[in-house]
Amino acid sequence: MNKTMTAASLAFAFGAAMSIAAAPAFAASHGGAMKADMEKEKCFGVAMKGKNDCKAGAGTTCAGTSKMDYQGNAWSMVPKGTCEKTMSKTSPTGNGQLMEFKEKKA
Amino acid sequence: MIGNASPAPGLPARGGVGLKPEHFRDILASAPDIGFFEIHAENYMVDGGPFHHYLGRIRENHCLSIHGVGLSIGGESPLCEAHLDRLARLLDRYQPESFSEHLAWASHGGAFLNDLLPVPYDAATLARVCAHVDRVQDRLGRRMLLENPATYLEFAASTMAETEFIAEVVKRTGCGLLLDVNNVYVACVNHHRDPYAYIRALPPAAIGQIHLAGFARDTDAAGDPLLIDSHGAPVAQAVWDLYAYAMERLGPTPTLIERDNDIPAFPVLLAEAQRAEAIMNEVDAVRPQEALA
Amino acid sequence: MSPHEAFADSLLAVQPACPPGLITWNGSDPARRFAVYRNNVMVSLIDALADTCPVTQTLVGEEFFRAVAAEYARANPPRSPVMAHYGADFAGFIEEFAPAAGLPYLADVARLEMLRAEAYHAADAEPVSPEAIALLAADPGRLPAARFTLHPSLRIMESRHAVVSLWAAHQGDDVYSALAAVDTALPESALLLRAGLDVEIYRITAATATFIRHLQAGRGLGTAVDLALAADAAFDMTEALGLLIRAGAIGGITHPEGEQT
Repeated sequence: MNKTMTAASLAFAFGAAMSIAAAPAFAASHGGAMKADMEKEKCFGVAMKGKNDCKAGAGTTCAGTSKMDYQGNAWSMVPKGTCEKTMSKTSPTGNGQLMEFKEKKA
Repeated sequence: MIGNASPAPGLPARGGVGLKPEHFRDILASAPDIGFFEIHAENYMVDGGPFHHYLGRIRENHCLSIHGVGLSIGGESPLCEAHLDRLARLLDRYQPESFSEHLAWASHGGAFLNDLLPVPYDAATLARVCAHVDRVQDRLGRRMLLENPATYLEFAASTMAETEFIAEVVKRTGCGLLLDVNNVYVACVNHHRDPYAYIRALPPAAIGQIHLAGFARDTDAAGDPLLIDSHGAPVAQAVWDLYAYAMERLGPTPTLIERDNDIPAFPVLLAEAQRAEAIMNEVDAVRPQEALA
Repeated sequence: MSPHEAFADSLLAVQPACPPGLITWNGSDPARRFAVYRNNVMVSLIDALADTCPVTQTLVGEEFFRAVAAEYARANPPRSPVMAHYGADFAGFIEEFAPAAGLPYLADVARLEMLRAEAYHAADAEPVSPEAIALLAADPGRLPAARFTLHPSLRIMESRHAVVSLWAAHQGDDVYSALAAVDTALPESALLLRAGLDVEIYRITAATATFIRHLQAGRGLGTAVDLALAADAAFDMTEALGLLIRAGAIGGITHPEGEQT
């Protein structure tokens, strides 16, 4: 693309972008005219916590004593969360499928 | 050494509550009648965003105490100057009525362990802590309050009692004290000492603020009680009793309710702050005049 | 070894350990009491990561997440007393973590959540006025050389996985239904931006991500468009510019001298 074309198309695009930005439909983000770029995934009111504290940890005395040792040979855990429901419909390798990790077991 | 008392005007002799992000909106909406709020300094060492937005607004209508948890005053290495700079900027921005930190360490060899770790009470540690408190007060240009720790262990190397150590730091540096009554109770149970004698052993004139909180119960390897400073429960009756005793000796003193685990709705904490106020005023009304001297 | 070094090492050790020189009033084993400090340190570090990465935790479950976080915390304790940004390389750790190898997208979800925390605490800035935008539009000759100062909270992330969709599926009530609609292997890019007090996350194309990255690097509008088009001929500059304007991502417009067109 040569410079003149870029400048001309840029001017056109910028003007169009302004009207898109001003259109009320944008806020809904589900309007049919909106493309993938416009999809806003808002995090509704989830406030972060402060991470500096002067309290003792809850649960008193367990977390410091590891039952699992990834470097050693005691890690036998598998993920057990919503990942069990995720899948890849397109990956030839089953990318995204849950695989049990069996390298080492206690 | 900084000779003057806490910068005027200081915190009011009333109840306060630790400010939690969970309560930002409630506090702005309800405009509670409360003595003061306290923040953990490090949580606000961020460039912008909601924390500063809410703190700025709350600060407009309330007294503020800034309470550091990451300076590592008891650490073996010199204080982190970059962290002191961050503190100075924060204090400059919010102009708090009080600044306090802990008699503890948290940083070593470049790692920050995010807990308040204990120090031995010996001459070498005393010299180091005093040098660090001097540096804080010089850098910040104000008097700081030093908080007594909740501890679970003692050191064979200690040559003096914790109260003796703290009193000496006050004497050498001119700093004030933040008397954490829950910490006194927790540490005294954990080390089989008399919490009332502990409070009597501290210089009363230095005490500029009180902390109250709840603890959790555990046991040590011998089956004896081991209390944990969890900040996850209402203030225990034994701690309220000890607090009333402290108020008899000290007179009305700014008193903070700390809650960092299992945080209830704001009015629950406000009610605890009001209970502290009621106790300090009740005790004050019947306090013998000579104690005021 | 200094006393604090021995103490610090024992706090982070995998096997329960107790540094020397500790005593108890009743002569009981100090290791039991030292475990309180071990617990405090590990719980606080793990909690910090969990607060930043709630979706990562939900994906693998609390038990697995806390175990990974513990491994990370032991190997990478914080280097700063400011905990807000602890875990900057947590996603990289997950990527290399063999027990999580079956979930190739997991590290990128953690990366997105870390960026969200960064955006949350980033510096404040006002977007440019609509008048300034209109002024620029009225002078199209200056458009190609114009440079945008983007909002300090703006972050861009490209992923080989459907990272935004995975994250978004966890924001509603029916996580499982939302997840069923996600193809994890579809590449997605994300734009994160704090507007007011909320961090908003937009799913964007890779070309738009390229475009915004070049703007962020200080390149002129024309150059950024050219580079995005070179990356993907289907790049839609109208849509990308519309997004930046509407989202309030543009904090300033400058026209460097000598680059008038």
